[in-house]
Amino acid sequence: MPKRSAPVDVVFHALADPTRRAVIERLGRGPAPTRELARHFDMALPSFAQHLEVLARGGLVTSHKQGRVRTYHLVPAQLEVAEDWMEAQRAVWEQRLDQFDAYVTQEDGP
Amino acid sequence: MTRRDDAHDDPDLDLRLERVVAAPVQRLWAAWTTPEHLTKWFAPRPFTTTECEVELRPGGVFRTAMRSPTGGRSTSAGCYLEIVEHTRLVWTTVLGRAFRPAIRSPGRPMTVVVSFEPDGAGTRYSLLAMHGDPAARQRHLDQGFREGWGTALNQLEALLA
Repeated sequence: MPKRSAPVDVVFHALADPTRRAVIERLGRGPAPTRELARHFDMALPSFAQHLEVLARGGLVTSHKQGRVRTYHLVPAQLEVAEDWMEAQRAVWEQRLDQFDAYVTQEDGP
Repeated sequence: MTRRDDAHDDPDLDLRLERVVAAPVQRLWAAWTTPEHLTKWFAPRPFTTTECEVELRPGGVFRTAMRSPTGGRSTSAGCYLEIVEHTRLVWTTVLGRAFRPAIRSPGRPMTVVVSFEPDGAGTRYSLLAMHGDPAARQRHLDQGFREGWGTALNQLEALLA
């Protein structure tokens, strides 16, 4: 099976969630501290922190801590990875074919 | 695999994916050509396929509609160019029903060739997605960056669909 392009994979995973996409949109308007970001979402802070961690692992955001406040920034270059059109096409088809292979080999498949 | 594509791959414009899967070609063919099956795998998750229309003949329509997790809807439509049962399936988004040029085709123009070949107990298949000119692609990228991140993300969602 062909190997997927790792950076694209991780970026797409990070973006495959509405909360995380909303965080990216917010950070596109400028850096923001954790609590301010969390305020817009109806979820417990630990769950929200996990979303931030996925974004950080995908390299889409970075953070720095000053005193007790952690502030998040967008990393534009990493979003560019996902924006490259051909790479995006490849990621879409790879994922499709992963799903296809799983479907045609399962018991109740075609 | 032996290729019978008339087109030559262009690395700047085309994607080719090849895989071997442990299932007979009949099942693969059914999964690619039956709406009931296509809706189960075609949309890259977390997107879901909400509609699927297949008119399995040259000039027949191949149309899918997908829903994003946030409720956005996008469609992709085209027509089949070539159908060789259990062997080869070709469609394009450049044309609509009965080969009529698609003036407002949703998404970006492409032609896709899927070829199947028995491989032991399983099947080897390849997918070739052919696109237009690289200049258009680059223009698209440059624009996306000037227009800000909101737009970039919208485009990304469209691409994911």
